[in-house]
Amino acid sequence: MTGPRSTLREVALGRRRLTFARASLYGFVVLAVLSWAYILVGVDSGLGDLFSHRAWGNAGHFVRQLLGLEAGLVDGGRPAFLEASRWAETGKLAYKTLLMSVLAMSIAGVGVLLTFLPAARNVSNGELGGRSSFGLGALYYAIRLVFAFTRAVPELVWAMVIVFLLSPGVLPGAIALGLHNYGIVGKLSAEVVENMDPGPARALRSAGAGNLQMLAYGIIPQALPQFLTYLLYRWEVVIRTTVVVGFVSAGGLGREFRLSLSYFQYTDVALIIVWYLALVIAVDLLSAGLRRLIRSG
Amino acid sequence: MIWIEPPRPRPVSRFFETRRLLSLILVAALVWSVASVDWTGGIVHSGGGNALKDFFLALFPPDLSPGFLKLALAASWQTVVHAVAGITLALIIGLPLGVLASGSLGNPGRSRLAVAATVRFVLAFMRSIHELVWAVLFVTAFGLSSLVVVLAIAIPYAGILGRIYSELLNDVPQEPLDGLRSSGASPAKVLLYGRLPMALPEMLSYGFYRFECGIRAAAIMSFVGIRGLGYEIQLSLNDLLFSQVWTLLLFLVALVLLVDYWSTRVRRSLGS
Repeated sequence: MTGPRSTLREVALGRRRLTFARASLYGFVVLAVLSWAYILVGVDSGLGDLFSHRAWGNAGHFVRQLLGLEAGLVDGGRPAFLEASRWAETGKLAYKTLLMSVLAMSIAGVGVLLTFLPAARNVSNGELGGRSSFGLGALYYAIRLVFAFTRAVPELVWAMVIVFLLSPGVLPGAIALGLHNYGIVGKLSAEVVENMDPGPARALRSAGAGNLQMLAYGIIPQALPQFLTYLLYRWEVVIRTTVVVGFVSAGGLGREFRLSLSYFQYTDVALIIVWYLALVIAVDLLSAGLRRLIRSG
Repeated sequence: MIWIEPPRPRPVSRFFETRRLLSLILVAALVWSVASVDWTGGIVHSGGGNALKDFFLALFPPDLSPGFLKLALAASWQTVVHAVAGITLALIIGLPLGVLASGSLGNPGRSRLAVAATVRFVLAFMRSIHELVWAVLFVTAFGLSSLVVVLAIAIPYAGILGRIYSELLNDVPQEPLDGLRSSGASPAKVLLYGRLPMALPEMLSYGFYRFECGIRAAAIMSFVGIRGLGYEIQLSLNDLLFSQVWTLLLFLVALVLLVDYWSTRVRRSLGS
């Protein structure tokens, strides 16, 4: 007798579990309709512009100038990507951009390594065998708050604020990128510890291991590979963003990209995009290789 | 009784060699990056220390006057509008490309592989270029408008969604698909009744995660001059009105965390 009824209940429960996702989907659709209505009815939608003959003429003009097929306003000479000296100059900037991305990951990585443990709930409440205290609990919320704040503010906004304080160069850009990624990798790493198998740590504790020994043998070996993998994934995102941060923090390819655009040196812009794509591909390959090394290690 | 073979010890020497190589590379990267910065020159601006102090003091309190809160709310709405429109367009572009890239449509053969490889290359190109770089290029080509900004967000996001969706469509369990195939379903029907329903929860939850990133992307679109939270932050920074900057930052953080919370709840309710 209870058989069919319990299945019915399970179905009903399953439905209820699905309703939040479904309601969210409907909610998003409503939001999407509102947003598109706002944009298309709004004053500066640009829908007419986007399909006008003149706009496409301008766009074609721009692409031909990028490719050096049409002389720009300023550079009447040879396209930049045919000059070896320009390749060397922009190559140096590409090196700086790569440096900025690695420095950003170093900042984020060291920061996370120093703070991710107290940000894991099972460490702060002593579930892994430590001792819980009011201080540790407060520290947990404080670090989580810092993670949330640094993560929620985009790199570019961090950069805008930081150039007010530091002299321009690679460092402010790296700090801006580092701050944002510190929040992301920190949250993910703390979650790795929270989802960790507590067995080894508890066994170590019951065998009389001290805090440091537990960290070295119970937690780090399990959490480190995941942490490094996240760091490498983020590096792939960061190399794409370094250019953008360079717009404001005056370092590497980003600054040159903006200068070339504002001086209408469009073949330089094309050259910088080529370097940019080369960097992105190189970092993607490097990161994939290192991640394979982590998995096999 | 079942005999379980004891786990064979890993070859120790190779294990340590990989680890040592990896740590060597990572430490070298750290040292290289830190050593390459010119630490001798003035790191901090002249007056940077004072600016830093002013900046943090301005948090107590941030500008909470009704007029400014209204402005911040309007800016938040504009940011949400661009993010939502960008994500919907990214879904419209990314979903079909993801299906093509997964190679699950059409009859098995060389042409299907060629299409999948080409689409994958296109997706990789779309996501290689940051949304703001797309925006700068589009604004130069077409002039500034909301649609241009939406398009700039949609292109890299479609590249990411397409790649992830193609992987999700390929990673579904194969047995139900074999069942469909053996009862004579065409690849399109296998996709529609097998792959899509099975991958849908994961696809939905990843889409919601991307929505959170889209909010940040829309906020920084201010850089090309479109209105929104980033735009107001830039204006207030230029006028050194740090307490206004804090208000706007807090609005942005609240918005991102709200969407983050929403997408976490969606993911949890989908059990992934």
